[in-house]
Amino acid sequence: MGKSKVARYRSTPGRQAMVRLVLMCGVTLLLVPSGARAGQDGVVANPYEGDPAARRAGAALYGTRCAECHGADAKGISGPDLTALWAVGTSEARVFQTIRRGVPGSIMPSSSAPENELWAIVAYLKSVSTVPPVEFTTGDADHGRDIFRSTCVRCHRVNGNGGRLGPDLSRIARIRSRAALTLAIRDPSASMAVGYRTVTLVTADGELIRGVKKGEDVFSVQIVDTEERLQGYLKADLGEVRDETQSLMPAFGSDQLSDDDLDDLLRFLGTLNVVQ
Amino acid sequence: MRLTRLVVIATLFALPSSAWLAARQDPAPGVTSQDLLQGLKDPTSWLTYSGDYSGRRHSPLTQITPDNVHRLVPQWTFQTGTMTRGRGFETTPLVSDGVLYVTGSNNFAWALDARTGRPFWRYRRELPDDLTYGASAPVNRGFGLLGDQLFMVTLDAHLLALDRRTGSILWDVELADYHIGYAATMAPLVIGDKVIVGISGGEYPTRGFIDAYDPETGARHWRFYTIPTADEPGGDTWPFTGVRERGGGGTWATGSYDPELNLLYWGTGNPNPDYYGADRLGDNLYTASLVALDADTGLLRWHYQFTPHDTHDWDSNHVPVQADIMWEGRPRQVVMVANRNGFFYVLDRVTGELLLGTPFTDTTWAREIGPDGRPIVLNDGSQGCLPDYWGGTNFMPPSFDPVRGLFFVTARETCATFIPQKPEIAPGRRSSGGTVWVDSDKGYGALRAIDVTTGERRWEFRYPTPTLAGVLSTAAGVVFAGDNEGNFMAFDADTGENLWHYPTGSSIWGAAAMTHMLDGRQHVLIPAGTTLTSFALPDERAR
Repeated sequence: MGKSKVARYRSTPGRQAMVRLVLMCGVTLLLVPSGARAGQDGVVANPYEGDPAARRAGAALYGTRCAECHGADAKGISGPDLTALWAVGTSEARVFQTIRRGVPGSIMPSSSAPENELWAIVAYLKSVSTVPPVEFTTGDADHGRDIFRSTCVRCHRVNGNGGRLGPDLSRIARIRSRAALTLAIRDPSASMAVGYRTVTLVTADGELIRGVKKGEDVFSVQIVDTEERLQGYLKADLGEVRDETQSLMPAFGSDQLSDDDLDDLLRFLGTLNVVQ
Repeated sequence: MRLTRLVVIATLFALPSSAWLAARQDPAPGVTSQDLLQGLKDPTSWLTYSGDYSGRRHSPLTQITPDNVHRLVPQWTFQTGTMTRGRGFETTPLVSDGVLYVTGSNNFAWALDARTGRPFWRYRRELPDDLTYGASAPVNRGFGLLGDQLFMVTLDAHLLALDRRTGSILWDVELADYHIGYAATMAPLVIGDKVIVGISGGEYPTRGFIDAYDPETGARHWRFYTIPTADEPGGDTWPFTGVRERGGGGTWATGSYDPELNLLYWGTGNPNPDYYGADRLGDNLYTASLVALDADTGLLRWHYQFTPHDTHDWDSNHVPVQADIMWEGRPRQVVMVANRNGFFYVLDRVTGELLLGTPFTDTTWAREIGPDGRPIVLNDGSQGCLPDYWGGTNFMPPSFDPVRGLFFVTARETCATFIPQKPEIAPGRRSSGGTVWVDSDKGYGALRAIDVTTGERRWEFRYPTPTLAGVLSTAAGVVFAGDNEGNFMAFDADTGENLWHYPTGSSIWGAAAMTHMLDGRQHVLIPAGTTLTSFALPDERAR
């Protein structure tokens, strides 16, 4: 393992870039911290730090590989908001590894792209990162918790309690902007996350099964139905698989959830940021 | 059946969405303790590693028969994307309500649609880079299941509870410090309100144990150490404290459970160092043994040591198989083990009394058990050509057909020379204590049917190389097994005739098949390499 790491490292453009940077800074290689030279798995610093060309290259790579889920502005669509990563203390090495390894339990795949490409993407993401969040500091968290318990908890979990039909919201304020969360509450059908998109299955007898879609191919569909049961169906047994445009989550307009109540709810979700 | 609830859902669908929210039913109930007690009575389920608590891995299903098994065809193949060099995809999937729950190498796990093999969710544990035993055998043998919780052990020696609907972690407790050499690979056994787990790492200076945890909280109810302290019974079978505390005795194969006796039966592993015994003179209890524990307290009820003072890495980590049989004219409750030392044993499972101990292999180590219940050792290694360190069989599950009275086991015939060497003992450092030369030209494998009342071999089917495939049998008289060359095979339980095979492309290694009904069709599943494949007879339904 150790040997191959070194071998791979020596051949990477990433290191060449770092060497260039080091020489530009007028110091010798010997002064480079060993951690920063550790190669792809275990690198602690981005060899492209501050390199505008790498940043531009990273932006282009991001646009083709990441934007579909994370948004052209990296503020998240179905995937998380990536502009808040540094604000919540995520390290560059961690971002690199997440891209490299993917995210278990999600549709975020692993990547076998060359190391320098991943570092370029990391450099781009850092360039669009926001300052630490100040978005969830207004409102009454206790009242927000009450709203959550009366309104959201049947379908959403936080810290191990609640329903499973909708996404777990324990970390949602860490990975979504206030604007994105507001939109998701006011108009949940505007963007349904992959894995939570409403589907209606019409049986051969015309009966309806409703749930959120977890998977589908030409011949079958996998859902979590409204009883929270994981269920697979063969399309040959169904009359129709209907992808709905409306989320199972009701829209909470200002008549149902005032701006103040929304503020309280977001504040509550913001408190979940705190590592227990 | 699945459509009966649809009317309710259809009604809900017609409601405004906010009304739907209020009217939504509580989630469907999960698997209960009663379901687990009933074992394989529900033909659509396979809820625990061996199928039921008896450890028989014998299914009551009869749709697939010796006459039609040749028509089996793959229904789907799931690609895990994770593998283990030199080991197998060793899991037994669980199935409930049409969903398969599967663990894989490197602590991956999935919930799969049993109709298609398509995943509902995936889980992967982030493992540390400095695993010890877990790095050399990054395998996992399956989930335990209770309620809506799945239980899985990890290569860094933790026990996890996962939400079976989402794959998210509900709790995570450390079993032991992996830095020392511990890991965990077995399928947890859920009994009543306890999750029973064992530990791996007997090649390192570890001390084995069996634990019981609360399914809701992860709190530990009890721990049984397989190596006693100096003042406990068995403590005098070790020379001094320093050796005892790192004496091995792993517990890495899932045990069985008798609910009426409330006894757990569990095999224990080799003493450490594996091959070098000079510094641990004595029998080294309770290594290479079967222990019967009170399930409420974890206290030892009885034990039987198969290989006293083992120096061959002959762990006794096997599924103990329970049966109620006629023995010398009267009914006996027995537990059976085909052991790595090459012997087949039948013990009274109430008292631990040895009823039968006879070779099921051509082992030269010993050929009989003496009146004192100990093997009469003929060749401790100095004569050469002993069964190798993988043993006359291994942890791969056997099966037992109670109607035929036959015990089906994969036997390994090998010839090895053990060369012990005093190892350096240090935490996190492997201390096997020697090397083993295996004469590969003399090895072969065999599926053998043993008459449990006599120990005699009813039939065998030979494989070209020593094999580590487990066995599943069914009430229809079909035995499923496999070989090192990757063939998944079906046999006639009465004759041993090979009826069908399917080349999976990777060794059937450490895994046994499981079977369940789905949409009126019997499915048989086998993991091999990086794939899990489900087989069934052709679908005759009109499309």
